[in-house]
Amino acid sequence: MTLQQTTMPRPRAGRRDRQRFWQEVAMIAPAVLLLATFLITPFLLSFWTAMTNQPLVPRPTPVRFVGLLNFQRVFSDPLFWTSLWNVTRFTIWVLPVQCGLAFLTALLLHQKLPMRNLLRGMFFLPAITSMVVVCVIWGTLFQYPSGPLNQIVGFLSGGTIQPIDWLGDPDWAMFSIVLLSAWQAYGFQMIIYLAGLQGIPEELYDAARIDGASALRRFWHVTMPGLRPTHVFVLVITTIQAFKLYTQVAILTQGGPRESTETVVHYMVRAGFEEQKLGYASAVSVILFVIVLLIALLQRKLLRRFDV
Amino acid sequence: MGNRLLSILFASAALAATAGLAEAKTVIHVMHQGDPGWVKAYGDVAKRFEAANPDIDIELIYAPHDAYNEKFSAAVMAKQLPDVMELDAPFLANYVWSGYLQAVKPLLDQDLLDDMTDSNISQGTYPIDKELYAIGLTDSSVVLYGNRKYLEAIGARIPKSVDDAWTREEFEGYLEKLSKLEGVKWPIDTFRGYGIKTEWITYAYGPLLESAGCDLIDRTTWTAGGTLDGEACVKALTMMQTWVKNGWVVPTSSGTNQFYAEGQPAALAMGGHWFYAEAAAAMKDDIVVMPLPKIGEKGVSPNGTWIWGISATSENPEAAGKFLSFMLKDRDYRDYARSQSAYPGLKSFAAESPLYAEGGPLAIAFEQASKTAVARPPHPAYPTITSAFMQAVDKIFNGGDPQEALTSAARKIDEDIEDNAGYPPFDAQQ
Repeated sequence: MTLQQTTMPRPRAGRRDRQRFWQEVAMIAPAVLLLATFLITPFLLSFWTAMTNQPLVPRPTPVRFVGLLNFQRVFSDPLFWTSLWNVTRFTIWVLPVQCGLAFLTALLLHQKLPMRNLLRGMFFLPAITSMVVVCVIWGTLFQYPSGPLNQIVGFLSGGTIQPIDWLGDPDWAMFSIVLLSAWQAYGFQMIIYLAGLQGIPEELYDAARIDGASALRRFWHVTMPGLRPTHVFVLVITTIQAFKLYTQVAILTQGGPRESTETVVHYMVRAGFEEQKLGYASAVSVILFVIVLLIALLQRKLLRRFDV
Repeated sequence: MGNRLLSILFASAALAATAGLAEAKTVIHVMHQGDPGWVKAYGDVAKRFEAANPDIDIELIYAPHDAYNEKFSAAVMAKQLPDVMELDAPFLANYVWSGYLQAVKPLLDQDLLDDMTDSNISQGTYPIDKELYAIGLTDSSVVLYGNRKYLEAIGARIPKSVDDAWTREEFEGYLEKLSKLEGVKWPIDTFRGYGIKTEWITYAYGPLLESAGCDLIDRTTWTAGGTLDGEACVKALTMMQTWVKNGWVVPTSSGTNQFYAEGQPAALAMGGHWFYAEAAAAMKDDIVVMPLPKIGEKGVSPNGTWIWGISATSENPEAAGKFLSFMLKDRDYRDYARSQSAYPGLKSFAAESPLYAEGGPLAIAFEQASKTAVARPPHPAYPTITSAFMQAVDKIFNGGDPQEALTSAARKIDEDIEDNAGYPPFDAQQ
């Protein structure tokens, strides 16, 4: 992960070096080829498509170059801005919930508990369950007015809290999706945190103990600094995933109620597949790419600054 | 379901294998959607057809209802259109305009063509050349179901025919009274539980707008601006929004069975003809079938369903037509359709359907077809029209501003039409 390790002595020109160079080229060639075919070319193509009125399926009317018209339309559609705001909202909520849950369970499972491996497997279970299945199950839990979740809320509050229309109330729908998304996906971040925790040398804790540091101080001054790269990685990867929110929305709310769960990707799929406007959808995908890239760069920069 | 799926897979694998062996045979690919029961019915028809026509093989391709149009687009892009395909009637104009379908009149038996009801003919006809491009055994309608106990408790007038449908004043008055009645949790279920992607909203709520004097799009100039966001539509949707705000309508997340569920919490249901079978089974004599209410001057009801067309690229259109004719006359297929309270689209099938006959429980639904049915806009921009409208309704039902939501929907539709250069020759139709 660190750059220092990869700095190598300057190679001298020679037959062996040249041979080695070609060996390296041969080794990275398959990866480069695959990336170029399946990632870079489609991406460049979507740039081009975004500037045409390309329909999804061939139509009798000709495909024209329309310049930046699609981008203009995207930017002047209030629904696009709503969907952008919605994913931002989703990200802001899901980041602490999902990463916090992952971090806490990782800390717990890092302890020397009995049947630790079994527990780890159990906590990881939601992450390997298909999101579609999770959505169907949670859809039942969320039922209004007498679904299981509402019954629990009613029981715990002694009937003082009225049943909540989790997915049907514009004020609650996104929050409900945050809950189920965090629950489904935290396992992945948990595994990364566990790996990070195991990477902190035991000697550091021993040294801290000898210096008389309490458990809390050991946590703040050994565990937290040791996990810094992990935190950065987890935050960036979770943010990028959050911005691509789609499955949950497509299955449970279809962007409703009152556009409160419309996301950029759902908006894009709707434009491309339902309304068959491939050019327009490509423009949205290019914009989403730029936004996610900017956020990732910004996050990296900010978190670097806090780094020692 | 699992077993059926397996048997379908098995059947298609077997078909593929035999197709490879017998080169001389004509293979007809048939793409369809439907519940497991229908899928089985199609499979059985195919077997009987093959037995009667040993030189033709039928290969069924199943595509799930929810992603049917996506699957269809994929088939178009792969240049793998089936010979025979099921399609949702309002999308017909888009498909014909795009050049996917061919006229079916010369390919079907004359007695079948003569047997079609007017509504069935109109759902399969392309408005530009007035040719028939698709045919179905069935059609559809939406009626107002009522719970007899509740209606008697508030002393509601029960209409006997389409002509004396409830007026808006009566309808809203009854909703109000029902909302205060003991045992009624919601006065009406409009099946919001079907979601906002299943075509239900445009299909079932559109007629209420048309009854109120507006439409999804102006059907002569083919522009939505000024019509969909006009005063009549805004008023009509504001009215429906008020029903929701008053707590009169079953919410989306409560499912689609509140009319007959334990305790019967919904007093009325604005539901499709297919809802009759399940509701009647649960409620017996307590179910009342009434025409849709008249919001404005005239009553309006929807029509159109999944019908069958033959693709323009089919290499064996005669054999495809032969299969369609065979299926629509097949006795067991019709029996199955009847068991699903299917709405007749052929006169002979109507005669065999006591549900829809004079005095039958769904007679009113059939009466609506000849008196009040209005097809959804037969225009190639329909995919955008319905998508934009469903989004607007969802926004309005959840408290959004009707004028704003409808204006943005109208703009989206007009933009799409502009992008396609007015979908010629539709632009010259005015």
